Amino acid sequence: MPEPKQITLTIDGKSVAVPEGTTVLQACEKAASPVPFYCYHPGLSIAGNCRICLVEIEGMPKLQISCYTRAAEGMKVHTTSDKTLDGRKDVLEFLLINHPLDCPVCDQAGECWLQDYYMEHGLYDQRFNETKVKKPKAVPIGKTVMLDAERCILCSRCVRFTDEVTKTGELGIFNRGDHSEIGIQPGQTLDRNNYAGNVVDICPVGALTDRDFRFKCRVWYLGSTPSVCPGCSRGCNIELHHNREREWRPHIAKGERVMRLKPRYNADVNQWWMCDEGRYGYHFIDERRLSHVQVREGRGLRQGTWEEGYARLQEVLGRLKAAQALDQAGVILSSHLTNEDLYAAKRVFGALGLTRVVFQRPTPGRHDDFLLQADKSPNARGAAALGIAEGAEGLIALAEQQKLKALLVFTQDLVELFGGTRIQAAANRLELLAFVGANENPTAALAHLVLPGAVYAEKDGTFTNVDGRVQRIRAALGQWGEAKPEWQILSELAAALGLKTAFTDAPSIFVELAKSERPFQGLSYQMLGNHGALLKDGSGLGVGGSGQRPRTPNPEP
Amino acid sequence: MRFEELESAAKAIVARYEHKRAAMLPVLRLVQERFGCVSAEAEAWVGKLLQVAPSHVHEVVTFYTLYHQQPVGTYHIQLCHNIACALRGAEGCLAAISERLGIAPGETTPDGRYTLSTVECLCACEVAPVMQVNDRYVGPVTPEVIEALLRDPDKLPALPFAFQGAPGLTESVLSKRFGVQDSASIETYLRDGGYQAARKALTTMTLEQVIAEVAKSNLRGLGGAGFPTGKKWSFIPPPAASPSATARSADRAVPHSGTTAGGGIIPKDASKPHFLVVNADEGEPGTIKDRYLITKDPHLLLEGMLIASYATGAHKAYIYIRGEYAEPTVILQRAVDEARARGMLGQKIFGSSHHLEVVVHRGAGAYICGEETALLESLEGKKGFPRLKPPFPAIAGLFASPTVINNVETLACVPAIIQKGGEWFAKLGYGKSGGTRLFSVSGHVRKPGLYEASHGITLRELLDAAGGVPEGRRLKAVIPGGISAKILTADEIGVRMDFEALLAAGTMAGSAGVVAMDDSTCMVRALWYAAKFFAHESCGQCSPCREGTGWIFKIVDRIMRGEGRPQDLDVLLGAATSMEGRTICVFADAAAWPVQSYITKFRSEFEHHIREQRCDIPGAAPVAPLAAAHA
Repeated sequence: MPEPKQITLTIDGKSVAVPEGTTVLQACEKAASPVPFYCYHPGLSIAGNCRICLVEIEGMPKLQISCYTRAAEGMKVHTTSDKTLDGRKDVLEFLLINHPLDCPVCDQAGECWLQDYYMEHGLYDQRFNETKVKKPKAVPIGKTVMLDAERCILCSRCVRFTDEVTKTGELGIFNRGDHSEIGIQPGQTLDRNNYAGNVVDICPVGALTDRDFRFKCRVWYLGSTPSVCPGCSRGCNIELHHNREREWRPHIAKGERVMRLKPRYNADVNQWWMCDEGRYGYHFIDERRLSHVQVREGRGLRQGTWEEGYARLQEVLGRLKAAQALDQAGVILSSHLTNEDLYAAKRVFGALGLTRVVFQRPTPGRHDDFLLQADKSPNARGAAALGIAEGAEGLIALAEQQKLKALLVFTQDLVELFGGTRIQAAANRLELLAFVGANENPTAALAHLVLPGAVYAEKDGTFTNVDGRVQRIRAALGQWGEAKPEWQILSELAAALGLKTAFTDAPSIFVELAKSERPFQGLSYQMLGNHGALLKDGSGLGVGGSGQRPRTPNPEP
Repeated sequence: MRFEELESAAKAIVARYEHKRAAMLPVLRLVQERFGCVSAEAEAWVGKLLQVAPSHVHEVVTFYTLYHQQPVGTYHIQLCHNIACALRGAEGCLAAISERLGIAPGETTPDGRYTLSTVECLCACEVAPVMQVNDRYVGPVTPEVIEALLRDPDKLPALPFAFQGAPGLTESVLSKRFGVQDSASIETYLRDGGYQAARKALTTMTLEQVIAEVAKSNLRGLGGAGFPTGKKWSFIPPPAASPSATARSADRAVPHSGTTAGGGIIPKDASKPHFLVVNADEGEPGTIKDRYLITKDPHLLLEGMLIASYATGAHKAYIYIRGEYAEPTVILQRAVDEARARGMLGQKIFGSSHHLEVVVHRGAGAYICGEETALLESLEGKKGFPRLKPPFPAIAGLFASPTVINNVETLACVPAIIQKGGEWFAKLGYGKSGGTRLFSVSGHVRKPGLYEASHGITLRELLDAAGGVPEGRRLKAVIPGGISAKILTADEIGVRMDFEALLAAGTMAGSAGVVAMDDSTCMVRALWYAAKFFAHESCGQCSPCREGTGWIFKIVDRIMRGEGRPQDLDVLLGAATSMEGRTICVFADAAAWPVQSYITKFRSEFEHHIREQRCDIPGAAPVAPLAAAHA
C-alpha cells in the first residue's frame, strides 16, 4: 500500500504533520492539544452527536466537531480560543441539565467523564432551575449490566458497540427529544452477548455500570496492574484492578483483593475489548485457594511445611534416581503456567534426568469468531514452543498400569479431564501423587502431597498466546498464605534434590530462556513492552494459531 | 397475534425497495392497521422479516408519533395544537371536546370509542382549528362539527377548498389548474396540455440542456432552503462519469451511525444507481402548499419528477409524503398508477430510453424528516436522525447512492420552465428568485388560505390580499416563513417576500408559511407554542438541541403559568444562543430563532408577564396543561 500523503496543519499555533484522512481530533491529540470527547471511540463509527469536541477552525463561521472533520492542508485549528471554550462549556451545561447529579451514590464517581470534564471545561454557574426529565433508574439489562437512563448522555457508544462490534443489536435509543433513552427491547437481555461487559467500559458516564463491581469499592481505592487474561489462549490484554488499601479497608468485598478486570488496548490481540467469560472469571484469585503445604494422613490431608513437602519429593525422586528408575516418575505441567515456570520445570527435571514431562491443557470450551478461543488456558503455545510434549493421558495410563511410582501434577484438574474413577485408581497405585497449584480441586483432594502455587496475578512472567505472541504478566498482588510461584517451588525443589539448577526471579529466567530456547531468541521483557512480541518462529509448532485477527470496524487512519 | 396472515402483503411492500429495511415504515403501518397497535411481539416479527434487530424496530416505533404501542379508540381525535390553530381557537375546541367526551388529552373514553390527543401542526392552517379523526382531516372545528363528531364521526364535513387567488399575477404557474373540475385525473391533465413539457425534455433535449434551462430560470428550493435547483442537479455525477466521481467521494465519506446500524447498507460497487427523492414531508407549521399541489394537481408533480429524473439520471423515485396526509397519499398513488398505465412512467417513456419507477412512501409523524438527510434515514427504515455531512446526498444519499432531493413545489415549477423557458420563469420572479411560489396565509386574517404570487410581493400586499386582520383589530406581528422564521413586527411588513429580502430583514422566506397575529395575541403564549413544538420535534440526536429545546419550553411554560423569574429572559436568550450552530442540522437554530426574535421584539410584554405573573391581553386564553401538551 502506498504511504498516505502527509498534510500539515496548525493547531494552537503548533504545526503538525498527519497522514491525509486524519481527523482534526486525532491531529489535536498528536499536537498535544487534546480535545474532550464522549461519543467518539476509535473502535466505533463516528456518531458526532455529543458535540463536546467542537473546535474553532479559521475560515469556518461555526464551530466544527473535531471527531468528524478531516484535517486539511493549511488548516488552522484553535482548541483553546474563547469561542471553542464557550462552545464546550455550553455543551457540557446541556448534558448536565437533566442529569440527576447523584454522584455520591453513583458507582461511576471517580472515573466519570462528566465529573472530569466539568472540572476541566465547565465550572459554570448553573442556570437550569426546572424539573428534570424522569427516566428509569437501576434497571438490570443483563446478568452483569445495570442501566440508569437518567445518567445517560445518549452518546450511543453502547448502541454502536452492539451494532458494529458484536453485531447483535440488543440496544437502541428509544423515544425522541429530551425523552430519548437508551434501552433494550422489552423482554430481552444482554445475557446471550458474551461481550456485554464492554458496554460498561465504553460508557463514559454512570449510565451503564457493572453489577459484578457495583458498590464493591470506590474506584479511587483501586490499584491497576497491566496483565493478560488467562481465560483462554487469545491472551487479551487487561488491567487488573485491585484493592490498593485493603489493610485499611478489609470490609470491602469481604477482603477480596481483585475487584475487576478491564480490557487494555492491543491492536493485534483484542483491540479495546474482552469477553465476559474472561472478565468475570477472576474470582478464583481470591476463592478456594490452597494456602499451605498439605500432607496426606489416612483419608485426610493435614497442614505441613515446605521442608516436609520438599523432603517427601526428594525421598521418592531421589530413590528412583538412585535406582535409575526415573522412568517411573512423571510430571504433568500445565498450559496455565508461565513460560518462566515451564522453562524452570524443563531445566530442573532435565537436570534430574526425569524425562516423562508433558503439559496438559484444560477441557476445551466454547469459542466464537471474535476473541474467545476454545483452549481455556493462556500458554499452550508457549509450552509447545519450549518443546514440551502435550497430553497427560499416557502418564495416567502408565500409572494405572502401575508403571509409575511418582506423579507430579501442576494446576490441572485431572479428575475433570479424565474422570474421578481413573484418577482415584491411579492415585491408589502411585506411591506419590503430588499436586502443585493455586486452587483447590478434586485432583488436589486425591493427592498425597499438595504444594500451594501462585495465581497469575501474583507472579511476574510471560504467556504465549494462540498466535505466538509473547506477553508479560506482572505481579499485582502479594503471595497468598504460604503459596509460592511455581518457578520458585521448582528452584527450591532443585536445591532439595541436590541439583545446581537455581532461579532467582522471573526476569532472569526469561533472559536465560531467550538465550537457550530458539523460538524465544531475541526477546526480552523490554522488547515485549506492553503489547508483547511474536515468537521468532511463529509457525510449525503443532499448536495452531487462531487463524484470524480481531475485526476492525473502523480502523484508525 | 397471527402475523403470518400479513406476510404476503408485507413481502409485496418489501419488494418495492432496494433494501429490505426501507420497508420498515409501511410494514409497521400494515401491522398497526391490522392489529390496532404495534406490540413488542409485532416488533420482533417485523425485525425478523426485515432482518433488523428488534431493538431498532422499537426505536422506530417510539420515534414516530403515528405508531401506537397500545390500541387507541375506534375514533382517534387528534386536535392540532400549534400556533395557527391556537390563534383561531384550538384551545377552546380542545376544552369543548374534552368536556363533551369526559376525557383529557391522551385518554380514551371508557367505551373505547374515542381517544383524544393533541398533535403538532397538521399543515391545514387555512381551515384552523383543524383536527384529524383517524385518517380524515376535519376543519374548521366549530360547535356544529363537534356535535357531528359525537353523533356520527363517519359523517364529518369535507375539508373546504381554500385556494384564494394569485395577487399581482396575470398568469399563475402552480395553481392554474386548482379550480379545474376533476383536476387530479390524468384525463383532465392531458386535456390541459399536461406531459408536453416532459415529452419535450425527454425527446428533444439533452440532460445538460434541461439543467441549463432550470439554472437559467432561477428556480430555488421552495421547501425552505432556497438553494438553486439547477445547481443542485448539477452536483449529481453524470451517469457516464459516475464510477470515478463516487470513488472520489468515498474517500471522504466517514461511516456514521445511521448507515452502519443496519449493517451493509452501503453497496460496495462504484456503479451506483441514482435516486430522485421528493420531499413531500410538509410539516413546517403554517404551511399547506404541498397538500394542495398533491391533491389538486398530482400529475404536475409527476411531470416535474419525470423531467428531474431525466436530468439527473435517476430511474427510481421516491415520494416521501408526511404520514398524516392519508387522503393526499391515495390521490397521489392513483396518479402514479394512472401515469404508469398511460406509459408516462415505466420503460421507454415517450419512446425515449428514459425509464422511471415511482414509489409513494408515507412517513409516520416526525417533523425532522423534512430535513433532507433525516428524510433519507427515515426512508431507509430508521429514525429520522439527520446525517453528518459530507458526504452530501448528491454523492451518497439514499442507499449511499447519488440522490437529488427536491420539494414538491419546486418540482411542480419545472414543467412550465421547460415549456416556456427559463428566462420567462426568471422574469416572473424577483431578484435571484425565479417564478412564483405558493404562500400559505393563516392566523388572524379574514381570508386564510393559499395564495400564489411572485417572490417580489411584499408582505403587506399579501396580507391585504388575505383581507387583513379581523374588523376592529390591529396587526401585531407576522411569522413570514413558517414557525422557524424570526417574527416580524407590524411595522416591518413592507418587506418583499423573496429569499434575499427576508434574509436582509433578519428573518427568512422559509416555506412561505405566513402566520398573522393581531393585537389580541399574547406573545408569551405565541412563543409557548413555538417552544412546545421544537421540544416535541427535536430528534434528540445532538445534546444541545435535545436538552436545549426542552429546557426552553420549561422556562416559557413556567412564565405562562405565572411563575416567571426575573432572570428567565436572559437564561432563555442564553440557552438559545448556546444551541445555535452547534448541532448536526439547523433544527436547533430554528428552535433558537423564535426565542430570540419574540423576546427581543416584544421584551416588555415578556417582562410584564414575569412581573405581574399573568397575561393582560384580553381574550388570550390560558393554554392546556403542560403534561397533556408535552406527553
